[in-house]
Amino acid sequence: MDKLALQLREDAEKINAGISAELDARLAASLHGVKPESVRRPQRESKSFSFWWASSLTGVAAAALIIVVANLRTPEPVPVAAGTTPAPLVLPSIEWNIKSAVLTSPLEQEIDNLQSDLKKAEEVVKQDIDRLF
Amino acid sequence: MSNEAALIEAARNGSATAFTSLVFSYRDGLFRFLLTRTSSFADAEDALQDTLINAYRYLNSYDSRWRFSTWLYRIAINNAAKLKSAGTEELGDLHDEENDPLAHCIAASERENLWQCARRQLSDEVYAAMWLRYVEDMSVNDISAVLERSVSWTKVNLLRGRKTLDVELNKTATDHKSKAYG
Repeated sequence: MDKLALQLREDAEKINAGISAELDARLAASLHGVKPESVRRPQRESKSFSFWWASSLTGVAAAALIIVVANLRTPEPVPVAAGTTPAPLVLPSIEWNIKSAVLTSPLEQEIDNLQSDLKKAEEVVKQDIDRLF
Repeated sequence: MSNEAALIEAARNGSATAFTSLVFSYRDGLFRFLLTRTSSFADAEDALQDTLINAYRYLNSYDSRWRFSTWLYRIAINNAAKLKSAGTEELGDLHDEENDPLAHCIAASERENLWQCARRQLSDEVYAAMWLRYVEDMSVNDISAVLERSVSWTKVNLLRGRKTLDVELNKTATDHKSKAYG
């Protein structure tokens, strides 16, 4: 145990606060008026047999109706498109005059330095955490 | 079945005596902890009473995968927070030596008690994390369960708390040395 942990423990022991006889009596009295509550789990209501029978019949009837309606409908004639084909779209060519940005060496150096600093800091924090816990 | 598990089972069946025996060893620690989180003795006593009543009432919801103390401290922290949000505590009181119940429980010494210092310097949650770690010897996992925070949050904030208090401790040591050497 390190110096700070020892000091914290010692200082906690220096807090001189015990439970008085009055508080003890009060706690005992308050507990005797209480009962533990039972854990209530939500119960699923059981559905009657007639409910399942009625819902099955409704489902079957709805499916049959959809099949009948779909078979009775005559297909509409599809309009034939005219034989002209659209002319290919020609996009005007644009002369791009852009130069890619090039990082100058001092900036690259700066990024390298920052990244290495970050790595070092991460390692120090990890070491601290591992050492303590 | 351990003694604690047997007491829990008996208390779940409605034995207040079993519950009293179960929490007996935790009461003093809880009271000291609550005293550092509230602005008066009366508030600390109320918070302790509420904690024990709630723990007994909702004992059936206790999950034995966790330590019983972890669950108890979770309830205590909630009750202390409720007292605060109910407005019975005024923020200034905690830092006022005359009203601070903690100041009355600590014998005068040359060095300031680190927990008084911690209460001034750390947030409520970090303070609680430090207390649970260094006074109650809880593991980081248990602390994160009590505070309902991630394990990494707990680790990082324990480290921050340590660093803050380390500075205070070293400052006090330096002051003593400079006084000693005139």
